Amino acid sequence: MRTRVVTGAAILVTVGAMALAGCGSSGGGKNTGLGGSSGTNSSGGSGGGQTYKIGFQGALSGDNKQLGINEVNSFNLAIKEWNAQSNAPFKVTGVTSDDAGDNNKSPAAAAALIGDSAVVGVIGPIFSGPTSAAGKAYATAGMALISPSATNETLTSSGFTTFHRIVPTDGVEGKATADYLAAKFKNVFVVDDTTVYGKGVADVVQTELRAKGVTTERQGTNGANDSNLGPIATAIGGAKAQAVYFGGYDAEGALLAKALKAANYTGLVIGGNGVKSSVFTQNAGAAGDGFYFACGCQDATTAPTAKAFNTAYTQAYGTPPSTYSPEAYDATNALLQAIKTAQSSGTVTRASVETAVNALDYQGITTVVKFAPNGEVAQATVNLYKQEGGKIVELGDITKQK
Amino acid sequence: MATFMNYLVLGLTRGSIYALIALGYTMVYGVLQLINFAHSEVFMSGAFGSYLIVHGIVGAGGHQSPLVVVGVIAAGMVVGALTAGAVGWTLERVAYRPLRRRNAAKLTFLISAIGASFFLSQFAGKIFTSQSTNSFPTFFAQNKPLFKLFGASVTVIEIIDIVFAVAAMIALDRLVSATKLGRAIRAVAEDAPTAALMGVNIDKTISRTFVIGGLLGGLAGFLFGLNYGFGNTMGFQPGVKAFAAAVLGGIGNVRGAMLGGMLIGLVEALLPTAPWINGTAWIGIRWTDVVAFLVLVGVLMFRPTGLLGERLGRAA
Amino acid sequence: MIESISRHRAVWQRLAACLVGSIVLAAMWSPVEGSSTDFYYELRKTERFPRLFVFLGIGLLVFLLITYSAKVRPYVSRPGVGPAFVGVLIALSGYVFMHWNDNVGDKKFNTVAKAVSDTNGLSWLTKAYYGWLHWAFLALVVILLGIAVVMERRIAAWIAVAVAVLAALDTYKAHHDVGQRAGGIDHSLGWVMVILGYAVLAVAGLVVAVTADQMAATREILNRWMSWRPGLPLAGVGLVVGLMSLLAGAWFAPQDPHYNSSYSDMHAVFGPTNLVGFAKTYLDWLAWVLLIAATVVAAVAAYLRNRVLGWVAAGIGIACCVFSLVVIYKYSSLAAHASPGDGTTWNNLGTAPWMAAAAFLLLAGAGTVVANPGLAKGRAGLAELGAKSVLSPNVVRTGIIIALAFAIFFPPTMTSFWQQVLVTEIGPYLLLAVGLNVVVGWAGLLDLGYIAFFAVGCYFTAYLTNSLPIKPPSWLVMPPLAAIPVAIVVCAITGLILGAPTLRLRGDYLAIVTLGFGEIIQLAANNADGVTNGSRGTGVDPIHHVTNVPHPSVHIGSLHITWGQNQLQYWYLLVLYLVILVVAMRGLEHSRIGRAWAAIREDEVAAEASGINAFRAKLLAFAIGAASSGVAGVFYASQVGFFSPTDFTLIYSILIVAYVVFGGMGSLAGALGGAAALTWLPRFLQDQVPPADKQMWIGAIVVLMMLFRPAGLIPAKRRRIEMEGIDDAPHAETMAVAPAGSLGGVG
Repeated sequence: MRTRVVTGAAILVTVGAMALAGCGSSGGGKNTGLGGSSGTNSSGGSGGGQTYKIGFQGALSGDNKQLGINEVNSFNLAIKEWNAQSNAPFKVTGVTSDDAGDNNKSPAAAAALIGDSAVVGVIGPIFSGPTSAAGKAYATAGMALISPSATNETLTSSGFTTFHRIVPTDGVEGKATADYLAAKFKNVFVVDDTTVYGKGVADVVQTELRAKGVTTERQGTNGANDSNLGPIATAIGGAKAQAVYFGGYDAEGALLAKALKAANYTGLVIGGNGVKSSVFTQNAGAAGDGFYFACGCQDATTAPTAKAFNTAYTQAYGTPPSTYSPEAYDATNALLQAIKTAQSSGTVTRASVETAVNALDYQGITTVVKFAPNGEVAQATVNLYKQEGGKIVELGDITKQK
Repeated sequence: MATFMNYLVLGLTRGSIYALIALGYTMVYGVLQLINFAHSEVFMSGAFGSYLIVHGIVGAGGHQSPLVVVGVIAAGMVVGALTAGAVGWTLERVAYRPLRRRNAAKLTFLISAIGASFFLSQFAGKIFTSQSTNSFPTFFAQNKPLFKLFGASVTVIEIIDIVFAVAAMIALDRLVSATKLGRAIRAVAEDAPTAALMGVNIDKTISRTFVIGGLLGGLAGFLFGLNYGFGNTMGFQPGVKAFAAAVLGGIGNVRGAMLGGMLIGLVEALLPTAPWINGTAWIGIRWTDVVAFLVLVGVLMFRPTGLLGERLGRAA
Repeated sequence: MIESISRHRAVWQRLAACLVGSIVLAAMWSPVEGSSTDFYYELRKTERFPRLFVFLGIGLLVFLLITYSAKVRPYVSRPGVGPAFVGVLIALSGYVFMHWNDNVGDKKFNTVAKAVSDTNGLSWLTKAYYGWLHWAFLALVVILLGIAVVMERRIAAWIAVAVAVLAALDTYKAHHDVGQRAGGIDHSLGWVMVILGYAVLAVAGLVVAVTADQMAATREILNRWMSWRPGLPLAGVGLVVGLMSLLAGAWFAPQDPHYNSSYSDMHAVFGPTNLVGFAKTYLDWLAWVLLIAATVVAAVAAYLRNRVLGWVAAGIGIACCVFSLVVIYKYSSLAAHASPGDGTTWNNLGTAPWMAAAAFLLLAGAGTVVANPGLAKGRAGLAELGAKSVLSPNVVRTGIIIALAFAIFFPPTMTSFWQQVLVTEIGPYLLLAVGLNVVVGWAGLLDLGYIAFFAVGCYFTAYLTNSLPIKPPSWLVMPPLAAIPVAIVVCAITGLILGAPTLRLRGDYLAIVTLGFGEIIQLAANNADGVTNGSRGTGVDPIHHVTNVPHPSVHIGSLHITWGQNQLQYWYLLVLYLVILVVAMRGLEHSRIGRAWAAIREDEVAAEASGINAFRAKLLAFAIGAASSGVAGVFYASQVGFFSPTDFTLIYSILIVAYVVFGGMGSLAGALGGAAALTWLPRFLQDQVPPADKQMWIGAIVVLMMLFRPAGLIPAKRRRIEMEGIDDAPHAETMAVAPAGSLGGVG
């Protein structure tokens, strides 16, 4: 009996508090009454009074939300900077849609963006699985997609006609890495983390190494969240491999680096673009020194524009940019450029934005954003990086490294 | 041989942490017949608590004198254990005691535990960070091998892991078998109403059981974080393994949990990597979880109540 | 002395708990997320004064409420107070959570209110409503009801009823005005919630004004009202829905809002076209006539309790419903052909045509209720025996009919986003919950690896439709719908294989073994590239000869239906599956095997001693549960086409168990309700809280639900009777000796 009183009271009070909180906090809109609905429409025309909407689909909740948060922060930052320009040709509003990183939540997340007729382009989805689940829907709706991090090879041959991505496909990076390793070593140990990305790029590397006559040994870790990398480090030490390739993400890469250091491994260790980030340097610390990365991207930490991005991001969100933040920033800015092009050559619709995206040629902080007809980024150079003294430095084109 | 010993040491290290966590599961099961799903979050809170104190003392890291290092490790262990103990106590008061009062069904307890687990892990992610892996200050990274055991190098942190885990297990064993609180715990596990009639304060005993489980889990959290990094979702996988370990040894049986934990750790390290020469592996490390669960299922087929049988009351 | 000290300690503890709780709430309720380089960031940023004081104040308030609850208790148990609480909650939720107009800003009430205040030309009543009147109405009703209960002045309750009705009408008018002004298509439901809240408040007021009892007995009152004239309430609801659709709703809503028309406009819009004659007549005046006729027949049948007339009413209702649907199809397709850009057939409609069809269905339902007065002679049910804690069959059937009408006619009015959510995120889990309910709820087996059967179903469907790297022999390839029986059999066999070695284990050991099996299957699927395409899943993958699972299609004779055009098709397929499954399960529940399961669940040893083969019964439960996930697997695979091993991880198994227990284990309605609620909640919360915090709030809600209502949302009858006894639970006043507190948990 008493619990009913308590329950009822507690619920009433909480809802009332939220109502009060709602009274106070909301209301930011510059609404000018009904009928002139908050000024979003997708019809074209010149003049700085237009506002367009772009969407973001990614994992904003669930176990992988940190990746989504990294990217959506960049997305919002890019939009804010665009709107703050003194001569912005149009204003932009961002709409986010959460797919929790799950395949089965992706169709609805896509439907939310597609159903909003004011959205003209989408950044994302950030994972390969959700992209596979929603790619067809976006293609049917003719909505341009620029993904900062969906790396599965098959995405650009699955018939998703509006899909583009900023990160190079595993095939390109893997092959370049394998060629580099084959020139130097006769015995390479390939590790993957059993995810779509990790396994995919490790498969490419192993195939190419074998084709070049290198002996390879292959093991997978116990999953992408596996923190127990001691056994695999021991196996690597026991195999007396001259080099190690790791296909996977930064968190596990850092643990692998630490485990290899603890096992006194002295060979060369190299990873892909998924490993190269501040999460790796933060977690591996000194144990990560001497770790190499092969990435089809430009150095996003030392170029002047990149520095400005770093500062702005840290100031806005209280933490430095992390995994895939620079890529998402580039993707958003590229999309904004495409909208600008579409506006200047006629009306801004989903179709015209898609055409403009296909024709992009934009210098971003991680890469030149230019797409091949199948949606892959045309960046041809794979660069080699190394961690030295706790910082990742660029060594240059991997094909020119000794 | 050296490779095999390497795997063995790794297995013992990991196993001792599993054993510590499994103790928490098994003790709570003994007194309440409840699978405390939220224990993995108690474990996680220990890691965060210890990180806060370590970070508070030494900041971002760098070289420290050995005395400072020892002090920091001690502080980390203590604070981690205390944090987790506090979280365990709160968990019992908020999520389980009201259900006990109403004689709720067992599954209700389970779902309350699951809800609490979600809440705690996401709450920690909100107030601290939701980055999946964070590490302790970098001076811990200079984890030097201390000595060689039949060719396998054993590092300082591994020694600390095994030694303190074993010490904690021995302490718990003494507690359960030789102290008044231990007798009370065993009494409540055996037959709660009769124990109440004999003058045992059920509420306090259960509370203290949760706290003890939390202390051990928090210690495990700190040790785990030192070795493998920590994050707000770190508790799920080790929690499942530790629960499996507790069941393997006989749920409700303290010594069984210790044995089960060690066993699972060794199985994980040794079976997938057989035959331990030159890095070749017949099964492959990617099948580690499958192997561990198959072993579990296999043991339970032949010994349905676990390796050492059940019940806190009958074990010690 | 000792008692007073311990009471003081209890008070201090309570205060501390409330304050700590409020700080936790403050940390939860902040827009800031944690920082990986500065762990104190969120704590510092969000605990700032004065925000913290507000939350501490709330904590204090809750503390006071609990401490002085004894004073409040006698009033709270009066009849009508419970419904009043509920009504206020519903109304508040409508204001705080729901959308009020899809075409204004962030759609919330405050934004719309601001827009209204900036607009000229709206009626005074509307402006006042959005300004201060809405709070005034609510406060007035609450105060009047308070006076009525505390000071026992019934007249205040009558006035409260009048005010509530006025408030509901004003809400409707205000929303309608705003809708007219803002234009565009509007699916918002905030006004519906608020009107519902006021309706409940009005009912509460009536109860307060009319009853002479001192103790509330909601279920008994409900049973009594519903039994007075079974079917009459349903007829009333049908009439109201029909009136709303004919008077106010939009019957035609193409993309070009110029043509939005309510029923009275239809004549003008479709008069000049070459719409077929009967449709034109329907849109002119026939709908009114049909509605009145159906209502009159149903009402008379209910009043006279005449079974023949009941069947007649049912027949008329169904016929009118079908006729309406035909008319709707006619004019919708005519408009679609005339201007396809404005919306395809069935997509250029407003909400009103669906409401009209639903109204006729409800009237037909009323007829069936009258025609089947519940029980054959000689087989009295629990309610008829005087059991007060059980809802009578009339109430239950009314509920089922309303739910059915809702399930059939509400989804077409949803936005495409919600339709997609319904079909992809809610639907499969409804099917899974029904299956797990058999295993966990009826047989009492704790299965933590249930998603493995779902995985088997999905992958087997993919195999049979030739979508995996491993190819079936050519005679085995079949379309998805034909794969259903095969998938059911295969999954049932899997259940038998998994169950045979493990079901001899006791409760918690079974849990870990099933968990292990679930993990093994998921990991095997992830690593076995040649069979399942590994972590890549079943997407379009020409390199590995993998394609999407095809959508279902039916080609029999001249009947050609292909699924995949829109999500509604899948929804109706799902409803079909659900109905079949539910009917099958209900048959099971009341059969010998169902009783055997109940016996095993309660006390296995005693059951075995009574001659039940426990192992066989448990095995059967396992197999049946697995078989129903086979259906879910076929549905999911053929709908999304793409899935990968990450859809079948351990966390989903745990979630499904949570859905079933949250909803009320052992009751079908509970399992469905729990699954629907907990899969809907994340998408609903998305608009209310930062998306990163969704799971945190859901975890809190689950814990709170278990603490305050351990039996679940819709508890199984049997369980509730076990807990409370057949009569209402005794109240403190009627017992000489208060029941002793629990000794602290015997399992």
